[in-house]
Amino acid sequence: MAQLRVAPGGEHVLPKEPPQTGGFDFGLAARNARLAAAAGATASMPEPMSTGTTICGVVYAGGVVLGADTRATGGSEVADKNCEKIHYLAPNIYCCGAGTAADTEKTTELIASQLELLRLGTGTQSRVVAATTLLKRTLFRYQGHVSAALVLGGVDCTGPSLYQIYPHGSTARLPYVTMGSGSLAAMSVFETRYADNLDEAAAIALVKDAIRAGIFNDLGSGSNVDVTIIRTGGEATVLRGYETPNDTRPLREAYVRPKALVPVKATAVLSTQVEVTDADAMEL
Amino acid sequence: MDPTPPDAYAGAQLRDGEVSTGTTIMAVSYAGGVVMGADSRVSTGTYIANRVSDKVSALHDKIFMCRSGSAADTQAVSDYVRHYLASHAIEVGAPPLVKTAASLAKRICYTNKEQLLAGVIVAGYDEVDGGSVYVIPLGGTCLKAPFAIGGSGSTYIYGHVDHEFKPGMSLAECKAFVAEAIKRAMARDGSSGGIVRLVCINAEGVEREYLTV
Amino acid sequence: MASTGAGYDLSPTTFSPDGRIFQVEYATKAVENSGTVVGIRCADGVVLGVEKVMLSKMLLPSSNRRVAAVAPHAGVAQAGSTADGRQVVARARDECDSYDDTYGIEIPPSVLAQRLAEYVHYFTIHGALRPFGASTMIAAYDARKKTHELYVLEPTGVCLRYFGAALGKGRQSAKSEIEKLDLTKLTCREALKEIAKMIHTTHDDAKDKPFILEFAWLCEETEWKYGLVPQDLIDEADAWAKKELESDDEDDDGDEEMAS
Repeated sequence: MAQLRVAPGGEHVLPKEPPQTGGFDFGLAARNARLAAAAGATASMPEPMSTGTTICGVVYAGGVVLGADTRATGGSEVADKNCEKIHYLAPNIYCCGAGTAADTEKTTELIASQLELLRLGTGTQSRVVAATTLLKRTLFRYQGHVSAALVLGGVDCTGPSLYQIYPHGSTARLPYVTMGSGSLAAMSVFETRYADNLDEAAAIALVKDAIRAGIFNDLGSGSNVDVTIIRTGGEATVLRGYETPNDTRPLREAYVRPKALVPVKATAVLSTQVEVTDADAMEL
Repeated sequence: MDPTPPDAYAGAQLRDGEVSTGTTIMAVSYAGGVVMGADSRVSTGTYIANRVSDKVSALHDKIFMCRSGSAADTQAVSDYVRHYLASHAIEVGAPPLVKTAASLAKRICYTNKEQLLAGVIVAGYDEVDGGSVYVIPLGGTCLKAPFAIGGSGSTYIYGHVDHEFKPGMSLAECKAFVAEAIKRAMARDGSSGGIVRLVCINAEGVEREYLTV
Repeated sequence: MASTGAGYDLSPTTFSPDGRIFQVEYATKAVENSGTVVGIRCADGVVLGVEKVMLSKMLLPSSNRRVAAVAPHAGVAQAGSTADGRQVVARARDECDSYDDTYGIEIPPSVLAQRLAEYVHYFTIHGALRPFGASTMIAAYDARKKTHELYVLEPTGVCLRYFGAALGKGRQSAKSEIEKLDLTKLTCREALKEIAKMIHTTHDDAKDKPFILEFAWLCEETEWKYGLVPQDLIDEADAWAKKELESDDEDDDGDEEMAS
């Protein structure tokens, strides 16, 4: 696996590799780091599309509310103005994802599939802890190389619950959770307004305002507020584009362009005559 | 924190952006049981990821683990120990010994020492040895001790605990000893804070409580 | 393949039409023809006694032991092929070691018995393997439960717990002798004598090869450590057994014809 490399002195040396002890091989990660170091400032590694993000969730009296913004970025560019960051895991469990878009997407898809097989096998509703455990084990196995920071919420036979999951595989169960680059802005909203046993309307309003804080104060977050509510009993409502504070259409429609910015001096029709030389004239 | 050097991932150090339990943890044994304690702060760099976390994880009915280091690593270790201990308890048909839990934790920490950042204290009560405390620091060694402290905050209180500890304390004295030491560490260590969690384990059962500072 | 049942004994992976596994039964036969082994769980410990057949007068008495310690708190005595028995002993030592390594405590007797049973059973379900021609008596102490236990592991992989057990040639008469004893009261020192007597009784000096007695125990006296019984105690038991048999013979002289 290790390739010979010509050192500055001209002599062949083997690059230092970690000892092979079976299991996962992170050799390519080491190679990428070496390439980046060798390239120095002249070149940069390709950047994956990331969901510089605000996501959050809260447990309320009747279930769980999850929220997310809809901006996806590639470097400093907005790659998608209306992407979906609240992923389906099970009919009674949803999961917000921050980090590398592809990683959150694929990881949640994988776990959703595993949960469905588990449901078919056991004939019981999926448990939120089960989803959390599957996710944390997957992420721990990849030692943080799968860049997925998640807010997982759902309702099961034990009631509503909400978890945060870090890319390295650590988890915590909390009554309110924020993640992503806008998590600080969102957390400030939760820390001032959270209360135990909120009603549904108040919980949705709190989540919405937390996401808005991210959208308006964090460069990585933007566009719309998506909300998903999972109520005790396992019924989920997905409110895609719950609020669209950055919709430009009404603004554009309301914008009246002043007439005659370029004054028209004269109008004239130069010619409408068509001369057919080598074909039949089209019938009208 | 410095960006991760290219080949440093093989060594035991916190990876860039990893969640750490910059921590103060502690356990003291007394005649008939143990008192365990921890702060509740979990941080990513300068941001507090969780201000009310529980770093005292149950391994069995009367055996617990105080975790310090990487949150992901120590959660994985405690999950494995919990799993193996449950199987073991079924096999022997009796509650496991604290010694056994410590031995399992040590084995995991030692064999994976290159890949783990985990310093833990295993403590609890069993009918054979009564209350006992085992400390497993970074390299994966396992030591039995009358009491143990760990985590970044522990460095501030070595003098305090060495001065205050006396053998043969009562449950109430142990609780006060642990609470005071963790409060002092939280006051001095930036990575420790939040609330003080206490877990008291003895023949009667397990009692949890927390103190706000 | 011509006669009935033929062809079903070539491998332990094949059942005969009436549900038997001949290879495993043959292995059991190897044990039945061995020197007698007796194990008794007494009030204060476990005693294992072996009729060790001396194939040559030049053999060192201590060579070719049929009893072995596998851990401080556990040991075995074996009947059948000594070579096969060694494999089980080696495995038992590994199991004891790794259990201590992993869990930090001595392996409980029931777990040791179970693990060895799994090992032996494995050799009865694979075509490329031959079952063990040895049975193993396991004596072990459970420090947690404060109990001393006796198990017998057969070539089939079956492992059962007993108050008293006997293997080898003289097993039938030995078993009926054990049944007559009060095992709730019998001490290990008494059991040594009883076992010596059982082995001498079943041994036919005219027909059978000469033997020596080999004893190992695990009891209060040894602080629950498994080990060889001191030679003076064995000699004492041996002498007692011989004397008993002589006096029995004298008593029987009157009705010798009936007895024979």
